[in-house]
Amino acid sequence: MIAAAAWVCLLAPLAGVLAIALSGNGLSRRTAGYLATSSTAVSFAAAVVAFALTLGHSASDRQTTTTAFSWIETHALNVKLALLADPLSLVMMLVVSGVGTLIVAYSIGYMDGEDEERRYFAYIAFFVFSMLLLVEAANFLILLIGWGLVGLSSYLLIGFWQDRPSAIAAAKKAFVMNAIGDAAIVLSIFLLLQHTGTLDFAAVFGQAALLGSNTWVINIIAAGLLVGAIAKSAQIPLHTWLPDAMEGPTPVSALIHAATMVTAGVYLVVRTHPLFEQAPHVQQTVAGIGAVTLLATGAIALVQTDIKRVIAYSTMSQIGYMFLAAGIGAYSAAMFHLVTHAFFKALLFLAAGVVIHALGGEQDMHKMGGLRKKLPRTFIAMLIGTGALAGLPPLAGFFSKDAILATAFSGSAYDKVLFAAAIIGVLLTALYSFRMLFLVFSGEQSEPARRRLAKHKGSEGPRWMTWPVAVLTLLTAVGGWMVVAGLWHPFSSFLEGVAPAFASEPSAAREWLLSAVSLGVALSGVWIAWTIYSSRTQQAPKTPKALVEKLYFDRVYDRVFYFPAVSLAHRLAAWFERPVIERSGEEIGTGTLTGGRVAAAIQNGLARTYVLLVAVGVSAIVLLFLVFR
Amino acid sequence: MLGPGIAWYLAAGSAVFAIGMAGVMLRRNPLIMLLSLELMLNGANLVLIAFARQHGSLDGQVFALAVMAAAAAEVVVGLGLVVAMARRKIEIDADLLSRLRR
Repeated sequence: MIAAAAWVCLLAPLAGVLAIALSGNGLSRRTAGYLATSSTAVSFAAAVVAFALTLGHSASDRQTTTTAFSWIETHALNVKLALLADPLSLVMMLVVSGVGTLIVAYSIGYMDGEDEERRYFAYIAFFVFSMLLLVEAANFLILLIGWGLVGLSSYLLIGFWQDRPSAIAAAKKAFVMNAIGDAAIVLSIFLLLQHTGTLDFAAVFGQAALLGSNTWVINIIAAGLLVGAIAKSAQIPLHTWLPDAMEGPTPVSALIHAATMVTAGVYLVVRTHPLFEQAPHVQQTVAGIGAVTLLATGAIALVQTDIKRVIAYSTMSQIGYMFLAAGIGAYSAAMFHLVTHAFFKALLFLAAGVVIHALGGEQDMHKMGGLRKKLPRTFIAMLIGTGALAGLPPLAGFFSKDAILATAFSGSAYDKVLFAAAIIGVLLTALYSFRMLFLVFSGEQSEPARRRLAKHKGSEGPRWMTWPVAVLTLLTAVGGWMVVAGLWHPFSSFLEGVAPAFASEPSAAREWLLSAVSLGVALSGVWIAWTIYSSRTQQAPKTPKALVEKLYFDRVYDRVFYFPAVSLAHRLAAWFERPVIERSGEEIGTGTLTGGRVAAAIQNGLARTYVLLVAVGVSAIVLLFLVFR
Repeated sequence: MLGPGIAWYLAAGSAVFAIGMAGVMLRRNPLIMLLSLELMLNGANLVLIAFARQHGSLDGQVFALAVMAAAAAEVVVGLGLVVAMARRKIEIDADLLSRLRR
């Protein structure tokens, strides 16, 4: 029964894709949206059923593996097309299909009137399918297929507006960056196969200790998985694709670049934690990368002017928190933050989408301001989302972020350093998130905003846009109550079987104390943001150039990889392609032509010429025979 | 064996063949060219028969008979063409017939 639900959950969006893609123009645009929404809704219902049934099992018996057929069968390798429904994948299934359904429903309103709406809905349902395949996989090969398909569908969705050169460039950038990660994962999988002879999760993890005895191998495997996770989750140094990916439609940013796809890296680290635990240095690197990313991207978010880019940088920063947690072994804290982040980040993106929609496509925050009166409900949604992002109680982000802070604080000395980074991150988060809120909603309306509002009759959008935002607002408000330190923790005990509890679980008193500290830090961040950005009259502080330049990552990559590659290509074109390949084509043509002309001249139609040639040929043959007898 | 040695026969056959070939190459009248072709074939026949006698085998003679039959067929076709040309008042010159159609 759980198995059937898992299959329905996976295949429903695929059925939606096929239905939309195959019916072509026979389907109205609206129907395509309804079809995509209902297919993901069916998927969510199936995930809920699987979840409820799994809850009925005893804690030790919550892993259901279901095999469709044996896919690759040799004496050395046996890969099955198998799904795994255990607490970890169930959590991901619920998040992906649930938040996914809300975002697809929102798209019906947001994309209304867009050319090629049908293509959009086919892509987005395909994305949900790919993501579900990734999280439901029961072995590394299926996981890799889902991983690759997710990259493909994000490429398609980022480049959805094909007539914008910037969108095409962003799509390519995302694809190339992800391909680096994919390649690293493939290499890890090859090594795993060589040393364990299987790709099945359970079997591989059963041999983790054996693998651990070979330090080199386990370190390379874990590092490969880490590179893949970094690329997909947009962590430093493979993060530059995510801000550019904001070229896609806003619901896509919400679905892919906030709620689901970028968290796949966190999922991968948590899923393969038995391997990471055998490679402690790599696991510490995971946490270190998370800490660096959350600080760097949080700082960059402070100076962004595009509303979607602010949210994009905050996504990287928040995923940095998850990496930090997963790196120090606090898996359930990482997953908890993943879930609440999916709620509030989807909410922020969708609310930002309402603002952009009301202003007819304007994304520059300096051209907004004072929208609180015009978009009151969106303001409330945004306020709750921002509060959750900054970690204010009783919103979702408060509980999940504090869980990470508390576990980091009670760990080793290295973890304490990470804790310091995380607490600075809290300040940055509060600062940039409330800066965004104040710039958009408070103060006076800016002149461009007034003009655009008048022109587009700025409203909060059709019903299809408002109700998903409302549902997400509710989830963001109450979603954090799943875990309250010292009172109850159903979330982490549900995950216990897959992701073991943190070694030195902090006491409730300490956790509450740290909560108070982080709350104080967050509130001071809010206060700073208020004094600087709440009114438009005040001059904004000068922004450091390094932050505006996004810490020069793009510049460096351009210098080190892009420009040399382009100049090499130009040189090859000038020195090899044009003189050798292109010319050879011409020369073969003219050569054949000349040869033909010469041969044609022999065929002059005079019998005596032919006779002469025959005579000469025969004489030559006779002579040859006589000489070389 | 009576008569001259095989070398004489070969010399005579080659001479006839060469004369025929020169005729085919140098003359432009199709009638003469057909005649010269006949000379070439018969030069070859002479050589065949000479070898047949030399080796006491009938194979060469059989070949010579087959060549005669082919030569007869060729003359039939060739003379037919020449007659058709004469009927149509086309000038009898092989060099002017360098195309398969006008």
